[in-house]
Amino acid sequence: MVKNPYIPTAVEIISIRPESEVDYTYRLAIDLDVDNGQFVEVSIPKVGECPISVSDFGNDYIDLTIRHVGKVTNQIANLEVGDKLGIRGPYGNGFPIEEYQGKDLVIAAGGTGLAPVKSIINHFYRNPEEINSLTLLLGFRNPANILFADEIAKWEEADHIDVILTVDEGDEEWAGNVGLVTGFVEQINFTDLANKEVVIVGPPIMMKFTSLEFMKHDIKEEQIWVSFERKMSCGIGKCGHCKMDDTYICVEGPVFNYTKAKNLVD
Amino acid sequence: MSYRVKRSEFDDILSKLQEDYKIYAPTRKKDKGTFSDTDLVLYDRVSSLEEIDFNSKTKYSPKEVVFPITQTLFYFNGDEYIEAEDKGEKVLVFLRPCEVNAFKRLDKIFLENGPQEDIYYKRLREKVKFVVMECTEGFDSCFCVSMGTNETEDYSIFIKVSDEEVFCEIKDEKLTEVFADQESTDYTPEFIQENKQQVEVPALEDITTDLFDSEIWKEYSKRCIGCGRCNTVCPTCSCWTMQDISYQDNENIGERRRVWAGCHIDGYTEMAGGHDFRTTYGDRMRFKTLHKIYDFRKRFDIDMCVGCGRCEDVCPQYISFVGAIKKLNQAIKEEKNNG
Amino acid sequence: MSLNVKEFKKNAYRITKDRGVTALRVRVPGGHLEAKYLTILQEIAETYGDGNLHITTRQGFEITGIPMTMVEEVNKKVAPLIEGMEAGIGVDIGNPEDGYPAAGTRNVSACIGNKVCRYAKYNTTKLAQRIEKNIFPNDYHVKIAVSGCQNDCIKAHMQDFGVLGMDLPVYDAYRCISCGACVKNCQKRATGALEFKNYKVVRDEDKCIGCGECIAKCPTNAWTRDASKKYYKLLIMGRTGKRNPRLAMPFLEWVTEDAIIDIINKTYDYVDEYIDRSLPKEHVGYIVDRTGFQVFKDYVLDGVELNPECRVAEHIDWPGYKTNVSNNFKKVGK
Ligand SMILES: Cc1cc2nc3c(=O)[nH]c(=O)nc-3n(C[C@H](O)[C@H](O)[C@H](O)COP(=O)(O)OP(=O)(O)OC[C@H]3O[C@@H](n4cnc5c(N)ncnc54)[C@H](O)[C@@H]3O)c2cc1C
Ligand code: HEM
Ligand code: SF4
Ligand code: SF4
Ligand code: SF4
Ligand code: SF4
Ligand code: SF4
Ligand code: FES
Repeated sequence: MVKNPYIPTAVEIISIRPESEVDYTYRLAIDLDVDNGQFVEVSIPKVGECPISVSDFGNDYIDLTIRHVGKVTNQIANLEVGDKLGIRGPYGNGFPIEEYQGKDLVIAAGGTGLAPVKSIINHFYRNPEEINSLTLLLGFRNPANILFADEIAKWEEADHIDVILTVDEGDEEWAGNVGLVTGFVEQINFTDLANKEVVIVGPPIMMKFTSLEFMKHDIKEEQIWVSFERKMSCGIGKCGHCKMDDTYICVEGPVFNYTKAKNLVD
Repeated sequence: MSYRVKRSEFDDILSKLQEDYKIYAPTRKKDKGTFSDTDLVLYDRVSSLEEIDFNSKTKYSPKEVVFPITQTLFYFNGDEYIEAEDKGEKVLVFLRPCEVNAFKRLDKIFLENGPQEDIYYKRLREKVKFVVMECTEGFDSCFCVSMGTNETEDYSIFIKVSDEEVFCEIKDEKLTEVFADQESTDYTPEFIQENKQQVEVPALEDITTDLFDSEIWKEYSKRCIGCGRCNTVCPTCSCWTMQDISYQDNENIGERRRVWAGCHIDGYTEMAGGHDFRTTYGDRMRFKTLHKIYDFRKRFDIDMCVGCGRCEDVCPQYISFVGAIKKLNQAIKEEKNNG
Repeated sequence: MSLNVKEFKKNAYRITKDRGVTALRVRVPGGHLEAKYLTILQEIAETYGDGNLHITTRQGFEITGIPMTMVEEVNKKVAPLIEGMEAGIGVDIGNPEDGYPAAGTRNVSACIGNKVCRYAKYNTTKLAQRIEKNIFPNDYHVKIAVSGCQNDCIKAHMQDFGVLGMDLPVYDAYRCISCGACVKNCQKRATGALEFKNYKVVRDEDKCIGCGECIAKCPTNAWTRDASKKYYKLLIMGRTGKRNPRLAMPFLEWVTEDAIIDIINKTYDYVDEYIDRSLPKEHVGYIVDRTGFQVFKDYVLDGVELNPECRVAEHIDWPGYKTNVSNNFKKVGK
């Protein structure tokens, strides 16, 4: 019998880690063949389903970093270690990390946009020889919203990684950068232009203006990669919700080169 | 092989066919129309010639046969997922040539698009055979000839009814047996060659992202009310949304379903937190129009729209789809002149 | 000049302010007529009257400026019209050449109805004609109007009997796509009788007023109307006038046409039994005020077969105002 693409596999939660007040990382016991940037459809029976990026993965687990914002995600907030989540996927295309080999890679992430790129960062964190340099430009709304704080600290330690961390609004204890991600683009080293690849993931407005900012520094469209978030119901090109022009974000995306992304109109 | 059957004997044929097939055809539901004392003509089960309405265009298309409005995908029982049963019933649908062509469009989405086939669609679709009703006159709003969907070779039976007789061409050998006792004839199917409406769809290369911002769509922001009728009646609209429910009498048990969705209807692009992408009705009109006559073709080499005219028939705001295509053509012309 | 004024008025002629001059009221049951009758009206107006027609509030015509001496001739001229529009729908009119046999029971008026209107639930002209056939000719003063829906364009609320069309919505959950149009519209335009449960719609029968908004708005025909019979709301005892103008109030909801006809017929018997014959005339509404609603109700429902869906008012308090209670006003001049 053909496998029913809509029936999830029930997977056990093996750990839950708070990242902020509303974001939690769930580690699920599943051996899944995932690419960086792909997503899975996560579900709770009788509640619903939603697409969530795989924020990290290993041989026998995947991590999902989930913000509690609606019907399904709020219900996930009530789950505990040992409970199960329905999973199907992985879906979508993921980032072409083979194209980043040996390059000066810049990853600009805004808010939860860090989740889908975290596994790439960790990949190059663990394999420094695969890359020439890695610069992270990470923006959050405020210090309380900073995700993966201990991992960011770990990346900051690494010799081959530069981290620029900024928040839109600081607070009394915050001693770091304040301001939008776009304002920090110029701090990046723009010497060997041809060897650069830029990954930008975040809210639509952030992706748009950050891309323009990089292009002002003569980064070509072909060097920029973004990841789209659109309403999804099926994740496999059937339900229509995610379509933009002739492109299904769930199938050909969510990751697009800017040359393609710029022509995708809602 | 063609046969002529007396009308009075056709019901015998239908009952023989019914031993193996559920039969769907255009049929008239008395006083069930939206307005009082009007009928609703739609596809439903029939068992006699009398029940089939050969002369009206149905309000809704036959797509429900393979893409039900509400469809249970599987049941939840505690941690278990139980796939909804496949009844496995074979189906014969009486339909028009444009509607056969509409099934090809649905096939593209459900069977070809994305990484996997949609098994729920497939298991229904595999069991459908077409009985094409000769359609040489069409209706006021049809433009199938313009869309190249006025003809089809994909049928098991082709049928034409007259006052006294029913002419049938049988292509499907498995069905000839039922007609064995009938008089053979030299009937050959005919197709409509000219509609009352014509329209030329723009060439792919003529559509640029500049046209997405064209003034022509703004008019529809004022006219369209986002009711979604144009989506629900369309034989090729294939969008849907997943829904989970739990039964009121037993919270442990529930099901996951899908129901039709439509890109004109509020919520279609709305994400958690209320972020919405196509908020104006003009944007939705542009999105639908281009899906029907442009980007589907870019992806699958055929236009999605089959020119059935239903979206025009039902629009409470008298928005004509042909009218929209013509405006688009005009905008392309102006763009070219300016550029 | 000598004239039996009472008989004259029953013949649908009016005593006007000009001595010796009258006006003829022409009934148009259901407010709908074949255009050919206008030629007759034109001829009478131009030959006998002052060349004008007045369109009355009850959807009739008044042919003004007719010398009282011409009445017999006018009656002959108007005969084909009375024959077509009254005898033609089954009204027992007597000899049409004698003019109208009565005037007390007024023309049964109707909005345009579902011949044209998308909201209307039934053919209002047909119902008006059916009522006309049942109650006319009659001298008792009863006003009836029928509206296709609860928008009440004919102002049935101002009548002794007002009939409004209702829909009994029937829901097919399979066809519902959870678009929300019905829920939203019922909330905005009706009574908020609908809500979602498990993505499907549930109707609160007690809140639903049968307006049919849900049926009209549904993009999949998940809502249709119960087509096994027609349902109506029957309003009673509204009026204008000098003493106590008031809106008619609902007496029966989801009632059938046959029951309405029976009730109207019985009302004439009720009037006959309870009318105060010491007065020159007494409107039915004032009779009900005298006897009390319960007496009226028991009388007119006695033996009437009501359908199971029908809901009957327990008691009715008519709003409106008494014209003699005017402590709200202050004179401008000293
Ligand atoms: C490719 C992709 C990757 C994502 N990765 C993450 C992630 O790693 N972490 C995270 O917290 N969120 C992620 N999101 C957003 C996440 O899908 C939504 O927050 C989630 O669907 C909200 O579901 P809900 O039922 O809680 O909210 P509701 O508002 O109740 O949503 C109802 C339904 O609408 C759809 N929907 C609503 N919002 C979205 C949305 N933003 N995107 C797609 N479908 C939506 C879903 O089918 C959802 O079940 C991702 C979205 C996409 C498209
Ligand atoms: C001799 C007595 C009366 C005569 C001749 C008379 C005549 C009329 C006429 C000709 C009309 C217009 C009918 C039409 O449009 O066809 C009318 C309307 C009306 N009459 Fe009288 N009337 C009389 C007494 C009364 C009384 C006593 C009342 C109230 C207590 C009354 C209440 C009304 C009302 C409310 C209307 C408004 C039309 C409507 O019902 O929609 N009338 N009358
Ligand atoms: S004419 Fe309208 S309803 Fe018919 S296929 Fe084209 S878009 Fe759909
Ligand atoms: S027109 Fe809209 S509803 Fe129809 S298939 Fe296209 S996206 Fe879906
Ligand atoms: S049917 Fe007409 S009004 Fe309704 S959504 Fe479609 S275009 Fe808009
Ligand atoms: S008939 Fe009117 S009141 Fe009743 S559910 Fe429908 S919209 Fe609401
Ligand atoms: S309008 Fe029709 S489809 Fe929409 S929610 Fe109501 S019943 Fe369902
Ligand atoms: S999510 Fe259903 S088509 Fe993309």
